[in-house]
Amino acid sequence: MKPLSTWGSSRNPVKFRIPTSDNLLPIRLDIEIDGQRFRDAFTWNPSDPDSEVVVFAKRTVKDLKLPPAFITQIAQSIQSQLTEFRSYEGQDMYTGERVVPIKLDLRVNHTLIKDQFLWDLNNFESDPEEFARTFCKDMGIEDPEVGPAIAIAIREQLYEIAVQSVASAKESRMIKKGRKGFEHIPISKAGGIAVDLVKSFGNKSSVIRKRKEWDVFEPIVDLLSNEEVDALEATEERNAR
Amino acid sequence: MGTDNNHHHNNDTTITTTPATLGPNISNNNNNSSSTANNKSPPKPPIKPAEPPTPTTTTTLQPFGSSPNTADSDFISIPSYSRWFSWDNIHQCELRFLPEFFDGRSASKNPKTYKYYRNAIIQRFRDNPSSTPTKKITFTEVRKTIVGDVGSIRRVFDFLEAWGLINYSPSSSSSSSNKAAAAPQQLSHNDNKDSSSSATKSAAAPPPPPPPDAPPSASADNSTTAAAAGGPKKRLCSACKSPCTISCFTSDKHNLTLCARCYVSNNFRVGISSTDFRRVEISDVVKTDWTDKETLHLLEAIMHYGDDWKKVAEHVGGGRSDKDCVARFLKLPFGEQFVGAPESSEMVDNQLTSRGSSFQNKRMRLSPLADASNPILAQAAFLSALAGVEVAEVAAHAAVTALSDFAGVKIKANLKSVPADAKQQDFDVASHGDTAYRMDGALAEAQSELEKEEEDVERALSEIAVQTKELQDKIVHFEELDLQVERESQQLQQLKDLLYVDQLTLLFYKAAAHKSGESMVESIKAE
Repeated sequence: MKPLSTWGSSRNPVKFRIPTSDNLLPIRLDIEIDGQRFRDAFTWNPSDPDSEVVVFAKRTVKDLKLPPAFITQIAQSIQSQLTEFRSYEGQDMYTGERVVPIKLDLRVNHTLIKDQFLWDLNNFESDPEEFARTFCKDMGIEDPEVGPAIAIAIREQLYEIAVQSVASAKESRMIKKGRKGFEHIPISKAGGIAVDLVKSFGNKSSVIRKRKEWDVFEPIVDLLSNEEVDALEATEERNAR
Repeated sequence: MGTDNNHHHNNDTTITTTPATLGPNISNNNNNSSSTANNKSPPKPPIKPAEPPTPTTTTTLQPFGSSPNTADSDFISIPSYSRWFSWDNIHQCELRFLPEFFDGRSASKNPKTYKYYRNAIIQRFRDNPSSTPTKKITFTEVRKTIVGDVGSIRRVFDFLEAWGLINYSPSSSSSSSNKAAAAPQQLSHNDNKDSSSSATKSAAAPPPPPPPDAPPSASADNSTTAAAAGGPKKRLCSACKSPCTISCFTSDKHNLTLCARCYVSNNFRVGISSTDFRRVEISDVVKTDWTDKETLHLLEAIMHYGDDWKKVAEHVGGGRSDKDCVARFLKLPFGEQFVGAPESSEMVDNQLTSRGSSFQNKRMRLSPLADASNPILAQAAFLSALAGVEVAEVAAHAAVTALSDFAGVKIKANLKSVPADAKQQDFDVASHGDTAYRMDGALAEAQSELEKEEEDVERALSEIAVQTKELQDKIVHFEELDLQVERESQQLQQLKDLLYVDQLTLLFYKAAAHKSGESMVESIKAE
């Protein structure tokens, strides 16, 4: 892990990586073969050798007793997501003073979670897994599959943001060649979602959140009954098609 | 490995380790501790010794295997080479096999996360038993619930599986001996972890086991028809899968058949006891049936030769050994010729039951009666038949006298009233109908019980006396303390009063000073 100054100014490019303490990649699988649908999401360590991909695919298929046609599909999907990640790896990204809101909106088995919170992108020591663990413990969630799902959701969003910042860094470099004043651009392009800390915690306003925002930032955890789960799944499938 | 305070496991988890060769279970105590950062809610540990064992699933295909199934509420078995495992510590071999967690190269892979993964996986495995019959967990199940990257989780999982800390059962879908045979071979390759993990994967995470299925079902079929002394059948022992030749033991209750060897070596599940089995003579059933002619010969010979079975066998001819003849003879319904036998057998039976002797193991070689559900009775009947009527009678008589003597001594000591001779005479008289004897025996027992209870009560009383004394001492002590506290509070009160007085005087002076000050000012003003 490279030691990084956490107050990287917008000028300081940093090598691309997921801004968490461990450089793990979220992978999502959604494969359909012969009417059988396999959906999954997990974290992957990109420094694992590629042989691991096939091994993992085989293991999964065997454990879940899926038809063997899945093996190649799964392996391919993982591999493509990996290469995509690797393609970003060499490049720079800008880390400004960025605190972004992360939204959770997921359903895992019988648990429905809605939440929103602020996350510091500059904090390369952050750990979505730790957050997920604490979340589950605090909210008293009993389903053990929820934790990893939360961690993966967070990671995906961070990944997207990081990707965006890379893209914006590229663009801004191009634009820089053209004209000056590029500093505004990263913020406006990729930072539409960023919260300007200085503005909100400016002079006289207090650090305490305004009352009307409480609802937004409060975590909601719902336990669904079986029928609701079925209904939701049906709507999801319809939407997917 | 001692015990512990921890949140997740209230009691000690008993871990049994198996020697890498065969079957079940030796206990070993495990050191528990909270699995760190486990985001599952603490599951109720099914490993409480207090919990009643789950009923044996006899309807499954593997009559013999899955011994942990019934015992799983009390025991988890792990192989002996994995004894180093403990919840809190990380052992040398873990460092060796999974260096990625310990070399500090990556921030997320450190001993703490390793422990978290490992404990979470094992925790999950051990929680499973009540729900799944096979008690194995798959990697995918595990990785869905553990927060972390799948590559490392997979390696930890493989490591644990290779070392038998998870998914290890003497058999889940194969017989115990099969698995046991497979186990030492695959585990001898443990130095090379990769090869072992693939080997264990193929053998230990087995999509099941066709070969053992066939024989158990075959033997199950056989055992159901065993009762009918019909034509010859092939019998396979459900444990060692060897054809039963001479004799085998069938348990209809559990639908099992064991060969004599397995029966003797007690190679069956916890839920079954040795009395559930009855002996079935193969040779008798398989080899030939006794024709009427042969039976006739047999009876003739017995009448002639009495106890000399060799001669009887000769007379019967046709390749019947003397043992065969004896067996056959016993299986015959006892007709009027043998009137004396039932009575004597009864007496002998009583004698034997009251003595509680165990001829069992010795006499098993000779065959008992056809409905030998109670081996002792069978033995008694057999012996009486063998010994002949008068002998049995006399023996019973003597035994009863001897026993009554013994009981009489005891009663004498207790009662001191009735002369022993009279008692003995009573016993002699009552030798045949020994209900009287039984009653006296019961009386003696009751007396001793009474004594014991008296002693217990006395002991309890003395204990109570001691305790009351202690309580009294304590009360006195507390009274003293109380007194002291009161004294001190009084002192405190006095001090408070003094302080109050001081304050008041101060105020007075102040007020006085103030007034004088004022008056001075007034006087100055006036001037």
